[in-house]
Amino acid sequence: MRKALVALAIAAAAVPMVLGVIELPRPGDPSAPALTHVAARYIESGAQEAGADNLVTGVLLNYRGLDTFGEVMVIFSALAAVMATLAGAPSAAVPRAVREAIPISPVVAYIIRLTAPFIALFGAYVIFKGHISPGGGFQGGVILGALLVLLSVVLGRGSATPLLPVSAARCLQAAGPVTFAVIAAAGLALTGALLGFPQDPALAHLRESMLIALEIGIGLGGAFIILGLFEVMRGD
Amino acid sequence: MSQLFDLVMLALLIAMALAVARSKDLIAAAIIFSGYSLVMCLLWQHRGAPDVAMTEAAVGAGVTTILVLLAIGRTRRREK
Repeated sequence: MRKALVALAIAAAAVPMVLGVIELPRPGDPSAPALTHVAARYIESGAQEAGADNLVTGVLLNYRGLDTFGEVMVIFSALAAVMATLAGAPSAAVPRAVREAIPISPVVAYIIRLTAPFIALFGAYVIFKGHISPGGGFQGGVILGALLVLLSVVLGRGSATPLLPVSAARCLQAAGPVTFAVIAAAGLALTGALLGFPQDPALAHLRESMLIALEIGIGLGGAFIILGLFEVMRGD
Repeated sequence: MSQLFDLVMLALLIAMALAVARSKDLIAAAIIFSGYSLVMCLLWQHRGAPDVAMTEAAVGAGVTTILVLLAIGRTRRREK
């Protein structure tokens, strides 16, 4: 009886989904609704208008900048929510003192120390090249965040020696929203529109600097939010 | 050839999704789910979406797995 109900519920969810997928236009179909409205303009003049050769970044930071602001706020509030939820929770399965007493494998420690600089370089590359090639603040930030998590396994183990002072970590976790707010205000002052980017060719360098500042803010904020999530959930 | 790649990857995705749903060991399920994200990343790249592929590899296969493992560490390893 219960299995039949489950099967019925799955079918009720799956049939409309499959029907919807069948209705979708074929990938790359030029008459698809997604390609007939604004996409043509993005492809034609996106590189000049948005100031980013990578159209995905152009849409993400310029045309749809306000949506990305929202995304950054969502990631930030995720960390705040996890911190608030776990604040009064009993400590992790393995108490901190016990965990710190377990010696770390020299092989793991060596591999992490060996690969760390290369991961850091790759993360920075992905952030800084994001407006030209695939990548950007979110992707590079996650790579840097994974690096910080790895480092906190070997370096930030003792309660007396956290990977980063708490106050500095708090400031860096807010880097994404703060950078977005500053750039949005700068756009308001320059163009009269929130998150507006100057279109004047003479100001192309300024526009590019604003885009890169946004990428760095998103990247740093994302990386330290991931580290914060890891530390909070580990029970530091 | 290109379509064959898609078909093999999609078959792998379905097999891995079933394995995640059937596994009673939650750590095993988390690791298989990480592999699912990796296959998904290859598919994104193959469909011409390198930005999404990078995000899938870093967030889906990397950070999500770490957070799920930490969550399992705070609860129970085996599903009842």
